[in-house]
Order: sequence, then structure tokens, then C-alpha cells
Amino acid sequence: MSRYLTPAKIGLLALIELYVEEAVPNDAIVPVVNFITSHLLDCDLSISSPTSSPDRWAKAESTIRLVLSIRDFEQILGPFAAADRLPGRRLWDRFLEKLWRIDSLHGLQEFIDRLPNLLARTKDELRRIAEAGEEPPTGILLSRNSPFGAFVRRSGLEFARLQFNHSAELWQGFVKYRQPTAAHWRRRNPQHGRLSFDSVLMDGEEEWGASTDALAVVAYGNMLLMGDLDETVPVSTDDIESLLEIQVEQLHKYGNRVPAELRDQFRDLLKDSHVVPSLAHYLNFSDTWRSGDYPTSFDYLHRYFDYTMQNRDRLFYQYALMNLAILQSDFGCHKEAVATMLESVSTARENKDITCLNFALNWLFHFGRAHPKLVRELESSSMLGTGRETLMFLRLKARESGMWVLWSSALMAEAKLVMSNGDSVATALEHMVRSSQLIIERNMKTMMGAQLATLTTLWDRLGLAYMSKMTCEVFLRCHALNSIFDDELKMTCRLAGLLAGKGKYEEAFEKIEGMNSNSLRSVKASQYWYLFRGLLKLRRDLHRGNLEAADHLLSQLLQAGPESLEPDMVYMIDSLHIEALTRRGDFEAAFNKIDRLIGELCEDNRDVSLRIRLLLNKAHLFDRIDRPEKGFTIAMRAASMAWRARLLPLLWQAIGALANILNALGEFAAAAQMLLATLPRCLETDSIFVVATLYSLLADACMGQAGETQGRSAAHLQKRTEFLTRAHEALDAAFKHYSAVEDVEKQCEMLAKKATLMRVMGDHVLAEDYAAKYLALKREAIGRNG
Amino acid sequence: MGLTAKDIEHLKEALQQAVVKFSERCLYQSAKWAAELLDSIPDASPAEVEQRTAGGMGNYVHPAFFPSADPVEAALEAKELNRYLLAKSFFDCKEFDRCAAVFLPESTLSGVLSAKMSEISSPRGKGKANAALPAEHALPALSQRSLFLALYAKVISGEKRKDEDSEMIMGPQDLGAVMNKQLLIVSRFLERWFAERETEDGEGLPPSQGFLEYLYGMVLVKQKNDQTAKDYLMQSVHIFPWNWGCWLELTNLISRTEELEKIAPHLPQNIMSFIFHANTRVNLYQQGQDLAASLNDLLNIFPTSSFLLTCKALLNYHSKDLMTAEQDFSNLLALHPHRLDSLDHYSNILYVLNSRPKLAFLAHLCSSIDKFRPESCVVIGNYYSLLSLHEKAVQYFRRALTLDRSCLSAWTLMGHEYVELKNTHAAIESYRRAVDVNRRDYRAWYGLGQTYEVLEMHAYALWYYKKAAGLRPWDGKMWQAVGSCLQKMGRDRDGIKALKRALLADSYYDSTASSFGSAGPVDRMAQMDPEVLLQIAAMYDRLDDEEEAKAYMELCVAQEDGGAAGAEGAGLGESVAIHRDSPGGVASDGEAEGAERGSGHEGTGVTVATSKARMWLARHSMRTEDYATANRLATELCQDGVEVEEAKALIREARSRMELANMMDR
Repeated sequence: MSRYLTPAKIGLLALIELYVEEAVPNDAIVPVVNFITSHLLDCDLSISSPTSSPDRWAKAESTIRLVLSIRDFEQILGPFAAADRLPGRRLWDRFLEKLWRIDSLHGLQEFIDRLPNLLARTKDELRRIAEAGEEPPTGILLSRNSPFGAFVRRSGLEFARLQFNHSAELWQGFVKYRQPTAAHWRRRNPQHGRLSFDSVLMDGEEEWGASTDALAVVAYGNMLLMGDLDETVPVSTDDIESLLEIQVEQLHKYGNRVPAELRDQFRDLLKDSHVVPSLAHYLNFSDTWRSGDYPTSFDYLHRYFDYTMQNRDRLFYQYALMNLAILQSDFGCHKEAVATMLESVSTARENKDITCLNFALNWLFHFGRAHPKLVRELESSSMLGTGRETLMFLRLKARESGMWVLWSSALMAEAKLVMSNGDSVATALEHMVRSSQLIIERNMKTMMGAQLATLTTLWDRLGLAYMSKMTCEVFLRCHALNSIFDDELKMTCRLAGLLAGKGKYEEAFEKIEGMNSNSLRSVKASQYWYLFRGLLKLRRDLHRGNLEAADHLLSQLLQAGPESLEPDMVYMIDSLHIEALTRRGDFEAAFNKIDRLIGELCEDNRDVSLRIRLLLNKAHLFDRIDRPEKGFTIAMRAASMAWRARLLPLLWQAIGALANILNALGEFAAAAQMLLATLPRCLETDSIFVVATLYSLLADACMGQAGETQGRSAAHLQKRTEFLTRAHEALDAAFKHYSAVEDVEKQCEMLAKKATLMRVMGDHVLAEDYAAKYLALKREAIGRNG
Repeated sequence: MGLTAKDIEHLKEALQQAVVKFSERCLYQSAKWAAELLDSIPDASPAEVEQRTAGGMGNYVHPAFFPSADPVEAALEAKELNRYLLAKSFFDCKEFDRCAAVFLPESTLSGVLSAKMSEISSPRGKGKANAALPAEHALPALSQRSLFLALYAKVISGEKRKDEDSEMIMGPQDLGAVMNKQLLIVSRFLERWFAERETEDGEGLPPSQGFLEYLYGMVLVKQKNDQTAKDYLMQSVHIFPWNWGCWLELTNLISRTEELEKIAPHLPQNIMSFIFHANTRVNLYQQGQDLAASLNDLLNIFPTSSFLLTCKALLNYHSKDLMTAEQDFSNLLALHPHRLDSLDHYSNILYVLNSRPKLAFLAHLCSSIDKFRPESCVVIGNYYSLLSLHEKAVQYFRRALTLDRSCLSAWTLMGHEYVELKNTHAAIESYRRAVDVNRRDYRAWYGLGQTYEVLEMHAYALWYYKKAAGLRPWDGKMWQAVGSCLQKMGRDRDGIKALKRALLADSYYDSTASSFGSAGPVDRMAQMDPEVLLQIAAMYDRLDDEEEAKAYMELCVAQEDGGAAGAEGAGLGESVAIHRDSPGGVASDGEAEGAERGSGHEGTGVTVATSKARMWLARHSMRTEDYATANRLATELCQDGVEVEEAKALIREARSRMELANMMDR
């Protein structure tokens, strides 16, 4: 295998020669030049960024196709007529003529020797030409430093560097590459014979007669004997390297796995390449890592670093360790990961590798946030310091060493920290704005995902559902193509979650199912995807009262251990588990679970919102066992905490819980007052279930108020009717919202309440009607749940 | 040279046995040669085969099982068969020292040699020493086959070590002085062995098989003891004539035709000697009808022998019949597509013919078969040289030399490349190595001369040119070089002689070569090189021999439209000589001339040389006041467009003189 030249490159050179000879007609110039250039330059030429993710691999695919077969040339050249306008002559024919005129090994040598004629002459050459009294060449000439010129020069140089046997191999490869066009060429050139691929053999046939074949076989080896069976592909190290770079770039940029087809083709190429660049091991490592093949990925990682440990007088041990740690943590070996990362930190310090050190510290910080238990001992004993100090340190270091990505991510981490501690929203926003400015100033497109994700969290916490939804949409529409797949996945899931919260389950599923299937081949992504889909289904099943299916799903979801999941997901599973338990009426188990979780959270000093949620769950549990008063302090605490942290959705929920307690205590007016004040705000949060609950509470409060107005006077009656009407309206609204989220149980409850209300109001027909509806709904639910 | 069917049968049998014997002694190349020759004998007609098989194929015996003719040897061989097989396997695995140690462990060897040493140190006490150490230091009782194998393994191991010790080709430490350290031991041993046979108890010993003589000769050659070597080699071929390796050693020892003639009567009279004779003559650049005829005779017996075909092609090459030589090699290639031997000569021919695609194909073929054979590397080097990629060419020649230091053509060709690269010191060293390897290589001698000429050391150059001319006395190029050199040294008389000889030699190749003895250089019908003529004329001019000078100048001018018959042959010969023999700066204008000459079949046309001659003649006419002639010549010069200004001045002067003369007449 040659370093640079391949038969395909000779084809490109021939095409360039055609272009310089002005044989390319006007209408073909742009496509032809575009074709050549796209194979010469590494960067993508198309003006618009790739419209969809499969297009990202188009370049790699076209490179492989060009290496493998000459058909690509036919595709681009076939449609155009040749510039000489002979009837029926295509540009493809001219191209073939060029290729077939390279009719021997020496022909190839001459072809290469002719290349400098394509270039513009240097000053020296011009002077010499002038001295010799000749005319300088005219027509199209390639400037020496243009992409074409550089390619032509490099090809000449690389050919000169070839050992003889390598140039002979190149020639053989070229003969083989060209052979598929023989049939086409013969149609135009009847004198084309069996041995036309080498003019020496053709001429020698008269002289050698029958033994020509023997000579041809001796010279060309197995190629002639085996025919199509000889599967070696003429690929150069240069091609392999550029393909590797494309793939690794894709992996880094988008976190995708290489599509299976492309990977197989690439393996074939690599098989025929004598040199396997060490980057190939890295590629294999990434691929196996993402496919979840733990032992193999370890093997490849070690192999890669064994080959690259000492490169350009720099040690890469710390990077090896860092990659190892990330790998370990990805496969759930958190303890080992921490140990490895600490070693990486110390090695980086030893080697004064600030970049690596900063990355490692950043990773450790995030890891610490996710797995506080593992890091706790460290924080007290080591010099790492607590989270906030680490962050400060990182921020300063990042700014000093100009690592913008790290800086911005540190800022975001700080914003998140502020939020989860329930501190000032303004501070969090300040960090966000600074990070945003950095991202935009430095055009760090890849950071956009993290930035917007943090922003949605902020909006969510502030209860501005439409803002968070909009941010999600903005990301998916504008930035998804430039960011890694994980961000896209999480944003889509979040959007789906929002939709599901509004009861738009179908839409939510549509969003999730619409993800790119190739990207989901990566094990972490697909795990997340399955989990999230499971969660959505579970929530819907719970609402629909399909407890059997819910149990089934839950048992699967609970199996996914907390090691391999993000804390958010773990909490979601837990909370749905609690809800399932409550709905089944297994209050004790639910209570125990809540207590245990609260204990864990308090210990770890975790996100405020989770604690509030759990408190609210607990209060709800007391309500379910008809002891709402017991939850009073809890609800109060939740409300005050939510208020302090400006967690508005939770605040409204807490107020709902409070109102419920007030209802239970008979303080209907106060409850109604609070609920009336809360409801419009709560509507903003888009969490329909909470709204419905609030409405149903309002209805209860109204009913209570109606019950309190005992007098028989007209005023009293009127007032009572007014309360009853209000209660009816509230029930209607609650029913509407419950139906939106398809919560059958609550819907039934509302219908029952409505029927009772009607009976109280004396409208028996309507009451019957509601009762019939109630029964229909029940039947339908049972029918649906099978 | 007709052979009867019975003769052919005998020949075949002898060759079969020879191949087996060579294989037994690990003489691979000789075995290959003999087997090739054997294969090239056409099979007997089916009728005869039938006749023979009727006699019973059942008692067919593989030649390997023919018993040794001598009962004593046979007994010894039978006794040591196991050890012999062991040694042979070691040799085949290239464990030479181990192989040698099977039969000749160090203890035996040191005993034998120390005895010898003491003999040398005190030649007078010979009998005493023998008496003192009678039994211990006697030669071990071994069969000749085993002894040969052991000693041969020793030599080969020494060669291998020598190659390993040698420095990089042409590196700073590479002085070519690394010696084979085993030679001394082996030669002592053999000396003793032969001495023992000559002494009193020699009668009882079995007769020699000829191989040990060959080995001793080989060792002596390596020790540069040529005369003794020749004797032993001749002994060997007398005893066992089928040993081609031995003949080849003899060929290498013969550097002049006279030597060949001298030893010819002492050689055995058989077919091998005939082949040897033909091959040696080809190697000595001889040519002639008789040689071609004898080769043809041989080819009648061995019609497809690649070796003989190569000889024939080389003969044609040496007699400058390049097209035929090319044809021959081409046919050879078709017959034996996997054979690499002597393809380097083929590449030389293709180089001279400037047949680039074919040379490229040949290089491709060679590199496909085996890219690590010296021949392949030389072919590739020649191809690169033809493309003017001299660095790469040098690289490949060096590779060839790394593979085989005795690859003669690579040394010479590398010298040519170094000349192209203007690295005269390296060039001289390469040529010198070539000459050291083979003193018959006229191209290397010529190259040396040329390089020294470039360095303006004419005395040196002359010496080397003379060597080259001695090797190829009928090659005009050599004599021309000698002449030019003499001219530059101011020895005009000798120079003129040499150049006249060059003219003769050039016409030697014409079919009309009969008259040169009598008429001398003035054979006006033959094509002659105007350059040479001009040079001769210039020298006569310097010697103030105006008449001769004028004659030669006129002859030179006459070449413009002269001898049609010889034009092609001479032109070709010239281009050959230029391409192969003068890679220096001369090549470029030589080529230009060649092109000019090729265009006109009638004569050379106007060349630089003829124009100069014409100018001289015009001036001469002016001096001798033959203004009309001067005017005519100058006008011709103007027409030719050479040195127009000077010619016009001459015309003006001539005309004015003529007018003046007219006026005076009046």
C-alpha cells in the first residue's frame, strides 16, 4: 500500500488534466471542479451545514466509494457531452481515453512526469523560457499553491518517493481499477484487445506468441489469475488517515457511532492497508465503548495508548488515565473511576499539563455532584476542597489558560449549584449570562446544548413553562446539528416530558420515536432513550389506572441500578414508584420509601427541589390516608422552602397541599382565597395535573363554603347557589384538566362529585347523566386496560 | 556437431549423475546449471522411448543411488551416511559452522593445522615432526564427499561472516578489504591433503573425485593465487568435467584471448570444454563467424538452453547488433519467464535502444518475481537511469551490491550514475571496484579514463583508455578516447595513430570491412566520423603538415553527403558507444549529433565538425590565395547558418581580394 497515491488519485489527476486542457464543457465545469475539490480538501464544501445527521457520513462514504471503484467518475462525467462536440461523445469517453492512454508502467511514469506542465511556471522557469526565446505556455494553468496545484505537486513528489516495487504495485492497482471500464472502452475502440491494459504485452504478443500469457501472469501475479476473487483494495495511508479523522471527528462532535455499513467497508479497507494507524485503535475503542462492550473497549484503549504514549516528546499517560476513568465511570465502576481520575490529576500536575488537569478537575466536580458519597471522603482528606472552591479554582485556571469550553462549563456548573442550593436566582442568571456571552464570543457551538439545557432548567424552576418549551424548540431547530447527540436526546426527552405533562402523550411519543436510529446505537443514549420512553409510558399507565402494565414497567425500570443512571432519572423513577404504590393503596411501603429518600437527600445535601417534591409527596400521602392535618408542618415547610428558592411550580403545589389541609380543618374561605390567588399563576406552569388538583380543591372549598351558609333566607340561598355554581365550575375545570392528562380515577372522582352536586342542586336528570358518564368512563377504562 | 541418439543418452545420464552429485555437495548453482542444460535436451522420439521401456522400466534406478565407483570411497560413504545426512541438513538450513563441525570438529582441525604449522616453522624437521606426532595429526579418514562438504561449509561460513563484517556499500569504512578468515584454514588443510597424495603413501589412496581440487582452486582464487588456482581447476575439470562452477572460475581467471589460446590444448576434449570455450570467448568480447557457428552447434544439441541462448544474445550485443540481441533476449524471456539470470544484460540493451516501456515492463516483471535479486535491482536501476533519476538509480545499484558484492555490472553502472551526479570520487571508486571484481570490464576501464579526463588528469586517463582499448581493440570509441587524450597531452603523432585506428575500427563493423588493411583511412566509401577526421586534421595542422590536414579536412567535409551504405550501422554503433560508454557531458551533444545523422541517410549532413572543417578550409584557401574557393566555402557556411558573421567577413575579404586581383590583372 502506498502512502499517498492510489488509482483513484490518478483518476483525479487525469480529470484535472482534462480540465486544464479545456476539455470540460462549460456546463460541467462547476460539478467537475466541485467533485475534484471535495476529494482533495478535508473540509466540507457545501455551503449549508448538513441538513440531517446521516449526511454527516456522506463524505466518508464518498471517499470509500471513490477508492473502491471507478463508477463515481462515470456518474459525474457521464451526463456531460465532451467539449469537442463530436456527436455522442461524452466527457466520460474523454476521461477513459486519458486513462487508457496510460498504457504501460512507463506510461504511468510519463503521465506523472507530464504533471508539472499543468502548473503555472515559476519566475525562474519563466526567465529560462524567455532566455530560450520560447513563448510561455498559455491556457488554464494551476497556481502552485491552489488546492489543485498543491495536489498535483504533491502527487508528483509522492510518486518520486515511491520505491520501484511500490510504483509497480500502483500500476497494477491502476490496471485493476480501470478494468471495469474495458467493456465501455471496447465499444468505442474496436481495436481494443484482451491485453490492451499493457501495451508492452500487446506489442510483445507478436513476438512471444503463446507465452505472452505466461509472462503477463509472472509480471502481474495473482491479479490476472484470480480475477474478481482478488479482493485487495488499493488504498493509501493518506486515505485511511483522512477517513479515520473524519470518523473520530464525528465521534467527538456528535457522539455518534459509525454506521454499521460504513464501519464494515472501512474494516475492509484497513485489512488491505499494511499500516494500521494508531488512531484506528482509538476509533475501535470509541466504537466499542459506545456499543457497551466493556472488556473490548478496555483492550482497545490500552492498545491505543501503548502505541501513542510517547509522541513528540510528550507524555500522554495522564490522558490515558483520564480516558480510562471516564470509561470506568461509564460502565458503572465509580470507585475505580475516582481512583484513576485522581491519579490522572496527580500525573497531570507532575507533568505540568494544565489542560488535562483542568479537564480532570472539572470531571471530578461533576462526578462529585452526581455521586456525592464517593467523593465525600476525598473532600475532607484531599486538597481538592469543596465543590464551590473547586469551581472557583477551575474558573480562574480556565480563564488563565484560555480554555473557553472549560470556563463556560464551570460557569454553568456554578449556576446549577446556585440553583440546586436554592440560592438567589439572580446569581444563577448572572452566571448563565456570562457563560452565554463566552459561548457567543468564542463561537463554541458545541456548548450550546449545555447552555440551553441549564436555561430550560432555570425556566422550569421559575415555572415559566412556555419559556422552557421555547428554549427546547430553539435548540432542536437551530443548534442540534452542531452539538453532540446526548444534548439532542436530552432536550428532546425534556420536550416530550413537557408535552406529556400537558397530556399530549401521542405527540411526546412521536418526538421520542423520531430520534435518529443510528445515533441510538450508542449504548448510553439508547439506555436513556428506553428509560425515558418507559417513564412516559409508566406515567400514562398510572394516569389511566392501568396498574398491571405500570407494575410491569416499574419492575423493569427499577432494575436499572442507580450506578448507571443520572440522579434526575433515579428520582423520577422513585417518585413514580411512590405514586404507583399510593395508587395501589400500599401506603406503608410508599411512606417508608419516601422517608428513606428524604433521609438520603438530607444527608447528601442535594438539590432543594427534590427535597420539596418528596415533602409534598409525603403530605399527599397523609391526605390519602385521610389524615391531611398531619401533613401541615410538612406542607408549610415545603411551601416556605419553595418560596425561598423561588421554585414556583412547587410552591403552587405546596399551597395546594396547604389548602387541602385547610379544607380538612374546615377553613374553607381561607383555602378558597389561597387557591384563587394561586390558580392563575399555576396555569402558567403548564403542569396540568397540579392545576386540576387545585381546581378540585377549589371545588371542595366552595362546597365547604356552601355548606357553611346554612341559612334559609333568599340571600343565603342565593349565596349558596353561587357557591354551588362556583363549585360546579371548578369541578368542570378540574374534570377538563384531568381528562387532558387522561387520569381516569380523578375524572371519575370529579364526575361523582358533579353528580352529587347536581343532586344537591336538585337536577336529578343531570345527576343521572353524570352517573351514567361515570359508569361509561369506568367501563371504558377497564375495557382499555384489558 | 551431430550427436547420435546413444551419445545423447550418455550425455543425459552423465548430467543426471552430475546434478545429483552437486546436490549432494550443496553446489546449488552448478546443480541448477546442469539441470537446466539437462532439461534443454529435447526428449527422444516416442519410438525410442518405447524401445527403452520395453527393456524394462522396472529396473530403473534413480541416479542418486548409483554407487560410488571407488570401493574404498563407497565404504567410507556408507560408514558415515548418518553423519553426512546430518551435515547436509545443517548446510541446507544455512548453519554452516555446525555443518563443518560434524566432520571436522575444531579439535581435529587444530591438530591437523598445528602439525602443518610446525612443518612450516621448521621445514627441515619435517620428518621429525611427523615422527613425533604420527597418529594424532593424520588427516581424518573421511570420504571425499564429506570432506568437501565440511570444507565447503567452512568457506561459505567465512564468506557469510565476511559479508556481515563488511561496511555499508561505499560507506566511509568500506574499503573492500574484509577478508574471508576461513580461507587460510581451508587452504592449509587442502594443501596437506594434496601433499599426502603426492607423497609415498599416495598410491594406496582412492583417486580424487575432482571436487576437492575445485574447492582448492576456488580458495586459491580468493587468495589471488591465480596461477596455482588455474592448475587445480584444470585438474578438477579433467577429473570431473561437468562442474560448471569450476569452468566458470576458469573463465574468470582468463583475462585475455591469448591466455585462452594458451590453455586450450591442456583442456579435456568434451562438450563441456566446448561450452566453456564459447562462453569464455563471449565473455572476452570476441566475435566472429566461428564463434556464432559453435554456439549454433551447441544450440542444436540443447535447443532451449537458456544459458546458451544468453550467450548468443550477448554475442550479438558485443558485436553491436542490438536489435538481434534484443530479439534473442525477448525470446529467452518468453521461454523462461521466471528466470532472472542475465536479465541485467537485457536491460542494458533496452537502455541503449531507449525502449522505455519495455524496460519498465522488464523491471516490473523482475520486481514481481523477486525484488531482492541483484539482477532485478540492476534492471530497475537502469530504468531509473534512463529516466534521468540518477539518485534513485544509485540507490538500486547499491541495493544490488548489498545483495551481492561481486555484482560486476552494478559497480560499473553505479560509476556511470556517479559521473552523472558529478561525484567523480565516488565514480572512480565504483569503477575501481568493478575492475577489481573483473578485470575484463572495458566499460569500467573506459569510465575510469573518462572520469580522470573530466578531472583533467590526462596521463591517468590515457592509461585507463589504453586498458579499455586493449580489451576491445576493434571498438573505435576506445581508440578515439585514446587519441583525444594523446592530443590533449600534446602527443600529436601518437594521437593521429590512435585516431586512425579508431576510424579503422569503426569501419570494421561495416560489411565492406575488407579493404582497410591496404587503403588505410582513406576508404572514401565508408562512413567516417567527421569529429575524428576533424581531430586528425587539427593535429596535422598543429604539426604544420598542411597537406595532410587539408586532406582530412576535405574528407571531413565530404562526410556530409558521403558513404550511404554504412550510415546506419555506424550511426547506431556511435549511439551505442555514446550511450553506454560516455555518460559524461559528451552524451548530450553526442545525442544531438546522432539525431542529425539519423535524419539524412545519404550522409551526416551539416554538423559542427564539418562546419569547422569548412571554416578551416576557407581560411586555408585565403592563406593560399585561392579566393574563389574561399568564397564558395564561406558562402556555403552562410547557407548552413553556422558562424554566419565570421563567414560573411570572410566573403567580404575574399571578394575584395578577388576584385583587387582582377584589378591587378587588368
